[in-house]
Amino acid sequence: MAPHSTIPSNVLPAALALPFAVAALAALLGRRLGAVAGWIVAAAAAGSFLLLLDLPGHDAVASFRVPWLPEIGVDFALRADPFGRFFALLVSGVGFFVALYAISYMADGDERRMPRFWGALAAFMGAMLGIALSDDLLLLFLFWEITSLSSFLLIGHHDDEPAARAGALLALQVTALGGLVLAVGVLLVAQVTGTFSISGIAGDPARIQALLDSPLAPGALGCILVGVFTKSAQFPFHFWLPRAMVAPTPVSAYLHAATMVKAGPFLLGRMLPVFGQLPMWTPVLATVGLVTMLLGAWKAFRETDLKAILARTTGSTLGFLTLLYGFGAAEQDALQMLNHALYKGALFLVAGIVDHHAHTRDLRRLGGLRRELPLPFLAAVLAGLSMAGVPPLLGFLVKESFYDELLHSDAVSGFALGRGFVVAACVLANVFVAAVAAKFVIGTFLGERREGASRGGHHAPHAHVDDGARPAGPPLWVSPLALALGALALGLLGATDFTGHLAEAIASRRSHPFHVSLIPTPGLPLWLSMGGMAMAVALYLARGRMGRIPDLVETHHRPDRLWERMVASLAVLGEEVSMRWQNGSLRRYLAATLLSVPVLAGLALARAGLSHRDVVVSLSELPWFGLFLCVLLGIATMIAVTATTRLQASIATTTVGFIVSMLFVVYRSPDILLTQILIETVSTIFVLLVLLFMPGFPRRDMSAPGHLGAIAVATVFSLVVTLLLLLSMTPGLRENANIAVRPGGLLSLALEKGGGANAVNVIIVDIRSLDTNGEITVLVAVGLCVYALLRARRARSEGGAGA
Amino acid sequence: MNAESPILRTVARYAIPLTMLVALRIFFQGHDLPGGGFIAGVLLAAAGAIHLLANGVGRAAGIRWWRVSVVGLLVSVSNGIWPMLIGHPYMDNEFLHLGSFHLPTATFFDLGVMLIVVGTLMTIFVELSLEKR
Repeated sequence: MAPHSTIPSNVLPAALALPFAVAALAALLGRRLGAVAGWIVAAAAAGSFLLLLDLPGHDAVASFRVPWLPEIGVDFALRADPFGRFFALLVSGVGFFVALYAISYMADGDERRMPRFWGALAAFMGAMLGIALSDDLLLLFLFWEITSLSSFLLIGHHDDEPAARAGALLALQVTALGGLVLAVGVLLVAQVTGTFSISGIAGDPARIQALLDSPLAPGALGCILVGVFTKSAQFPFHFWLPRAMVAPTPVSAYLHAATMVKAGPFLLGRMLPVFGQLPMWTPVLATVGLVTMLLGAWKAFRETDLKAILARTTGSTLGFLTLLYGFGAAEQDALQMLNHALYKGALFLVAGIVDHHAHTRDLRRLGGLRRELPLPFLAAVLAGLSMAGVPPLLGFLVKESFYDELLHSDAVSGFALGRGFVVAACVLANVFVAAVAAKFVIGTFLGERREGASRGGHHAPHAHVDDGARPAGPPLWVSPLALALGALALGLLGATDFTGHLAEAIASRRSHPFHVSLIPTPGLPLWLSMGGMAMAVALYLARGRMGRIPDLVETHHRPDRLWERMVASLAVLGEEVSMRWQNGSLRRYLAATLLSVPVLAGLALARAGLSHRDVVVSLSELPWFGLFLCVLLGIATMIAVTATTRLQASIATTTVGFIVSMLFVVYRSPDILLTQILIETVSTIFVLLVLLFMPGFPRRDMSAPGHLGAIAVATVFSLVVTLLLLLSMTPGLRENANIAVRPGGLLSLALEKGGGANAVNVIIVDIRSLDTNGEITVLVAVGLCVYALLRARRARSEGGAGA
Repeated sequence: MNAESPILRTVARYAIPLTMLVALRIFFQGHDLPGGGFIAGVLLAAAGAIHLLANGVGRAAGIRWWRVSVVGLLVSVSNGIWPMLIGHPYMDNEFLHLGSFHLPTATFFDLGVMLIVVGTLMTIFVELSLEKR
């Protein structure tokens, strides 16, 4: 990578903050703003785009860095290197057109959901910009997760539809879980290299070498790859993307074609200079990419729903990008992303227009819309040609250069399956994708108008109102046409080598000069291209016959259903476990608590090498009335245990409590005495208050073995506690064990630091005030819960009586 | 609970103020002698319980006791936060010197504890008393 001088720039945080500020604005004032919210989001996208465009040029890199968590070396660091800046421009540029489109598209939606929609869309755009511009791994992770959360809100926009909720949940589960795994990978990388800075790692050969030599490297890369694969819907995590098509179409276009799913390949581009030399890099990425690519291409060919087709081909293209990175063939990764964003974004937006117009997205019901929708037809043709890789569109240049790359890359020949296999697979995938593009465009716009798709006919789930609706923004065709013309313009400019320069300027890594040209140079890439095109035409013509071949891939065991079953059984397992442990039997809880004391104390005593033989007690020290109280205590306890009514039992236990207080008098412990008496009083009041609500007593549900077990638990517990007390009183041990009285212990600490002679209280409110802080918070929560539960129950029973 | 016992009511008339005075005393002596916010709070709640038993739940139910506990939590936490404003750690305590009178700021924390204990206990007392028999 050419060395760039770094210049500090405040434009970066401004470009990043703009969408977030707008998100807050739209979410808070959305109802009052109405359609204006959409215009503001579009303006924010344009603003970020222009700010980023205006950054200094090729020879300098804008950056921004303030310490964020200096204790662990995390900075709020942004950096607009060419690749990151390109991605940010892509995000904000496509974001502008999508927002523009959504103003009209969403105009007939439910107004109550719009503040959330615009807020989530703007926040999503900000987070994507954050991913593009972050120069800190932890910061990147943060933005990564924000995109998962905001995309959850966007996919689940129609929250009254079960399918939308399920799709959103599935996407969130997969991507957010992957994000957490990514976090582990990021932490491992930082652990080994000692820094979170992306440029700090990628620009330092010593650090990269240390990382590659570390035994943690495969684990770190594996974790990062799980994050990448979940986000960009790579096999075996590919199943959430088709299900996410329940999202409103602008969302699908933006998240699932142009930007979010590309965060995965983008991160691969960031990691390529770091992990590219690791032995597992090529086999893992190439295999996953190949499988995803072929699976998506095959599935896309079988689908009949316009958005499902696009989702499947998106998966295919993303697999293709993964494959590229696997071979380190990243010369034109940015060009690939740009091309895909342009044509796929345009096609998604066209699918939305078709959906609005014909109230269906099913190809079997569509056809002949070219006269009714001439401009979307034009956009679809241009985008479709780019998708199929026909000159003079950008798609052709990208495909040519990719074949060229594939044929010359050293890594491909090193791959186990061999160069021939990889090239054949890529040609095959391209054939399918081109045939799918033909199917999409021809099936929708050419042929005969089918009456089954007429207005008022079948209603697609998301076409809510017929299209006599008033557009609040520009006509819907503006955005898709703009994107498609972009693909055309860049393709034509390719004739002047402009696109080549562009690719060279923005690629994540350049190893040799890169050349694309619209004028075809005879050679193997061109033959592959032309042969592929011919096969695509043949495949399209034979689509009817192909359709009769039974689809055996993922029909009986759909991975999304498998995932959902897995999640459901996790819930069942959790319920099982908690029902076993938290079965509501107070007796069992008490037994568990009482038994854990002897176990833990036994372990502690064993470690300290203490046993009952160390106890030295002379009973003569005890005053006789203390012993008298102990006898009384025994009698009261026996009465409590053998009580036949609840009142009798509660009086007996209160008596026990007060006798214990008397013991504190005898042994001169006024502090505990005070507490004990008051607590006894208050708990007696409690018992009296709840006595009438209690079930019958004694309950006769305890068997004889149960009784014996209870006696055993009580005996063990009492013996161990007695032992502990005796040990703590034993001379020699007492001074060591007691953290209060030993020199420098809590007693002296309380006097010196807290200035109070009442060590207990100084400990509670000063020395250990953080503990107390937690305890009183729990106490407040308990009070609030009692209030809420009893009030709610009363309100329900009164309401029930009234009705 | 409607005990309606004239004896209990008469005793309560004197016992409640006396208990509250003792609670106040115990709260302030907590720094050096047995006592403190927790005990004072329990004592105040005991006075409240006497009131409940003697005069019925009606008047006590007029107060939203949970708010008392929330205010207490705010007092305690803000006592922990203000040292952070002058660059000290959370819950760092100081001594306020008002002439010859020394007041540790932990006292405010303890005040919060007392309010929380009173508020929570009284919430439970009142809500349980309001339950239908």
